[in-house]
Amino acid sequence: MIAVENLVFAYRQQIQTLHGLTFSVAPGEIFGFLGPNGSGKSTTQKILTGILSGYDGIVRLFGKPINGRQKELQEKIGVLFEFPYLYTNLSALDNLNYFASFYPAEQRRSIDELLDMLEFKKDFVHKPVSSYSKGMRQRISMARALQSNPKLLFLDEPTSGLDPQGAVLFRKIIEEERKKGTTVFLTTHNMMDADLLCDRVAFIADGEIKVIDTPKKLKEKNSNHQVEIDYLYQRKRHMTVIEMPRLRAGISFPYDEIISIHSKEPTLEDIFIQYTGRGLL
Amino acid sequence: MWRGFLSLLKKDFQLMWSSKFLLLAFGSLVLYSCYINFLYVNLDQDIYPVYLYDPLSVQQELSADIVRVDSLEELNTKSGDGYAVGIDMSSGTPQVTMVSSNIQKTDNYRAAYALSLLSPSNQTVSEITGKDNKEMKSRREITCEFLFFELAAVGFLGIASMLFKEKQMGVVRIHGVLPISKTAFMLSKLSLFLLSDLVFSTFLTVINLGALEGLLVLPYVLAQTAILSLIMALVGFFCAVQLPDFKQFSLLYLVLAVFITTPVFLVGQTGIAWSWITYHPMYHLFMAMKNAYRGMPSANGVYYTICGLTIILLFLLVRQALIREMAKEG
Repeated sequence: MIAVENLVFAYRQQIQTLHGLTFSVAPGEIFGFLGPNGSGKSTTQKILTGILSGYDGIVRLFGKPINGRQKELQEKIGVLFEFPYLYTNLSALDNLNYFASFYPAEQRRSIDELLDMLEFKKDFVHKPVSSYSKGMRQRISMARALQSNPKLLFLDEPTSGLDPQGAVLFRKIIEEERKKGTTVFLTTHNMMDADLLCDRVAFIADGEIKVIDTPKKLKEKNSNHQVEIDYLYQRKRHMTVIEMPRLRAGISFPYDEIISIHSKEPTLEDIFIQYTGRGLL
Repeated sequence: MWRGFLSLLKKDFQLMWSSKFLLLAFGSLVLYSCYINFLYVNLDQDIYPVYLYDPLSVQQELSADIVRVDSLEELNTKSGDGYAVGIDMSSGTPQVTMVSSNIQKTDNYRAAYALSLLSPSNQTVSEITGKDNKEMKSRREITCEFLFFELAAVGFLGIASMLFKEKQMGVVRIHGVLPISKTAFMLSKLSLFLLSDLVFSTFLTVINLGALEGLLVLPYVLAQTAILSLIMALVGFFCAVQLPDFKQFSLLYLVLAVFITTPVFLVGQTGIAWSWITYHPMYHLFMAMKNAYRGMPSANGVYYTICGLTIILLFLLVRQALIREMAKEG
């Protein structure tokens, strides 16, 4: 679906933003693109969505180079920006009808269905966007990104500004889109989103991809293979950490009751810091 | 390319409506028309008042337009406003006294006019040719000035304020990922402001010149309106795309209004003559509009060629700036 080879981009001649990125995204995959501010992830997304040109390297979407075919490609993609950009003087319905008008009629999804799916409050549909909360605006933005029935969806911080219930709903919708065969390119700082949603993640820092793999494999590779055991002994609560291979021989220390056993896996953020030497923010 | 163009037009019209631009244009039309019809054409536009101090009663024959004064002090006071002219006959021969207007040609004209009133019987009666009376001439001049101001200043501000609003909402960037050409995005706004300016221009001309005179000059006026409207809208578009906020734009607007259009009005409407003004593009646009109100098209093909090239160049420049703006960070 997306194939990028040796992508190089510089906003000015002296300042190179991307230093030869190479990665690919398979059809129907949810691909996480993680990096701190200024790492080059927004620039990459702008190139992929046809906003930025003037790069070196090969960028293919749907198996074809994007240069000179931006309009054709933009009919097939949906983009959700980090901030809910909408006409605040217009209602949700007017906004969605307006943005839908740029796509072929047979490609458009029903606005009512989208609003239902996003659990948007019906009585606000005709009110101007200026009266909406950030979460409501984000739902309309998501509807805008989905209304063209895109084959490839670019999501930038999709759950930002949403309450936990809204975030769960958005993750469910992204999963459902993937089940329909939509490819998702997810740019985020949110490690929980990346961990829960992504088939693979790429860590980008200073314009270079440091690693690409599945979250599970990354955790396995970087695990220290330890487990944390919480237990009761002589009416007192204790906690100990032991190497996993030692578990095969059974629990060797005295105890009355085991309360919990957890593997001490690193989080994606720990792994990110390990690879890039810096945090995500 | 044109799918969704009607939606663009509709959305821009809604933005225009919500920004009260049309109300402002209607208000301007009413205000200008009221001023022209109820005030300007009724102003007593008597030429320079002339005062005479003649203690020896040398001057027997006098025009009715001369006012006699009783002392030299009174003469100096009354002719000391930079407009009136005094004639001192205390030495037996006329001596003209006045405060200079700082324009030599005007001063000479004032003096010659004042002296001519001393011998009213010798004045030749000019043959009146043409139908353009003083009132119609005033109407043409003031309507032209108001229209030029409206197109140059208000139209420029209108498109910029609309674009700043869209920039503030962040929606300009969304258009970067929509399957619509940037040209269509620009043309929608330009055509709406052009249409609004053409309608404004038609009403202003017909209301203030009258239906018959107005319709006679209307084709020329509309042609000049279209040129000026497109140029100013593109300049406003460019400034709004390039500048980060409306505050900076207001400052630029002030500079444009004061330093660019003021000299044009001064040279075009008064006796001030600055040779460098011929290099000022707005001067040529203003003079072409003046000619249009006299029913004379700018016959010079070079003028139309330069205007056409300017519009194309500005369009390309704005398109590039818009593409850069769409690619900016959120």
